[in-house]
Amino acid sequence: MYRFLDTLYILIYYIQNHFLFIELCQVLSHMLPSAYTLFHPGQNWRFQHPFASFFHLFFRVVAIVVYLLCEWVSKSFTSCFVLIITLLSFDFWSVKNVTGRLLVGLRWWNQIDEDGKSLWVFETSRGQNIGTETEARIFWLGLIICPLIWTFFFFTSLFSLKIKWLSLVVASISFQAANLYGYLRCKAGGQEGQPPHTSSFTGQRFLQRVSD
Amino acid sequence: PDWFHWTRTSFTEASRPFAGLSDVSISEDIPVEGDISVPVGSSRRDEEFSTLDEPVKETILRDLRAVGNKFIHVLYPKRSSALLRDWDLWGPLLLCVTLALLLQGGAADNDDQGGPQFAEVFVIVWFGSIIITLNSKLLGGTISFFQSLCVLGYCIMPLTVAMIVCRLVLLGSSGTVSFAVRLIVVTASFGWSTFASTAFLADSQPPNRKALVVYPVFLFYFVIGWMVLTFSPSQ
Repeated sequence: MYRFLDTLYILIYYIQNHFLFIELCQVLSHMLPSAYTLFHPGQNWRFQHPFASFFHLFFRVVAIVVYLLCEWVSKSFTSCFVLIITLLSFDFWSVKNVTGRLLVGLRWWNQIDEDGKSLWVFETSRGQNIGTETEARIFWLGLIICPLIWTFFFFTSLFSLKIKWLSLVVASISFQAANLYGYLRCKAGGQEGQPPHTSSFTGQRFLQRVSD
Repeated sequence: PDWFHWTRTSFTEASRPFAGLSDVSISEDIPVEGDISVPVGSSRRDEEFSTLDEPVKETILRDLRAVGNKFIHVLYPKRSSALLRDWDLWGPLLLCVTLALLLQGGAADNDDQGGPQFAEVFVIVWFGSIIITLNSKLLGGTISFFQSLCVLGYCIMPLTVAMIVCRLVLLGSSGTVSFAVRLIVVTASFGWSTFASTAFLADSQPPNRKALVVYPVFLFYFVIGWMVLTFSPSQ
């Protein structure tokens, strides 16, 4: 309970004393109409991958809720830690392997060549199965807001000197920030322009596939 | 098929990003060769997820099989491609959590929730692995950052097994005999861990630097082994 109150007090302190809060409100007011369209049927209310959208947000939000309510539910730091790490592992895996591809058509991974060099690959797809505009908004909002919330928790636990929770928050931030960074690089790579000679490239890939 | 529409930008760790693949003729010295000669694994990825249900299960099973495969490779440590080529950090995470849970409930806890001890294990394992990896990279190792973390994490498995054995032994008795048994088990598993990880890590170093790389690994597993050996359950 004390941790929840700490969070609340620090939030109120910053609201009263920081002009940045005004700008945050402006950003949120721009985003709220989009959030409104998520829940009201209108022109943009289409879901091509409802399960992917749900699970994209589910594990992240539940992890944050568990962190805030942990002390009411169970007295044990250990079980809270293990539960949050488990939820965030599921979230990391599902966002990296499933929801990114389905909702926005982006994919990233690391592969090692034969000579042992490490290669990071970022892919963009323009295929037919990509999610709608609504789902893309859900994806990016979920991807960006949750690491920001965990960063906020980092500062609250740091300033309230609850150091053992700090290790949990650092682990959570590393999970969330890894996916955010990977998808931002995919997005940046996609906007640098598409290759004009795709025919020869895909032709070679087609030969590769045929010969497999 | 969907893979027709995938466009790809790739980055090696040493090169700066190039603007798409707009000019194939530039590709002589940039490793587009590694890009075009696509390993079978990624063409398999292209065919996945045409439907949501089945391929998710397949991907989960594939990842689980990869993790299990690596555990088996730790049991027979020889330089194989499994731990190095397809690195993943799920195994180390699982081992770290298991080890931290097993180290709970000790007499050293002054906090009834076992909090500091749990977070300590996490910090020691991950921070220690990162430091060793940085050390080996600064000494000019060819192994990549995540590969090294993967190897060090998976090689904690013998010490986790030793922890399970120690807890079982401590259920029986806490005397000198049990201490001798635990000492033997922990020393054996510590030697096994160090040997397994140096089999992978030392190969990536020039010969005159091998001792400099092995020493921190030795220290790392020594600290973990010490935590395992000095664990005593609270009465």
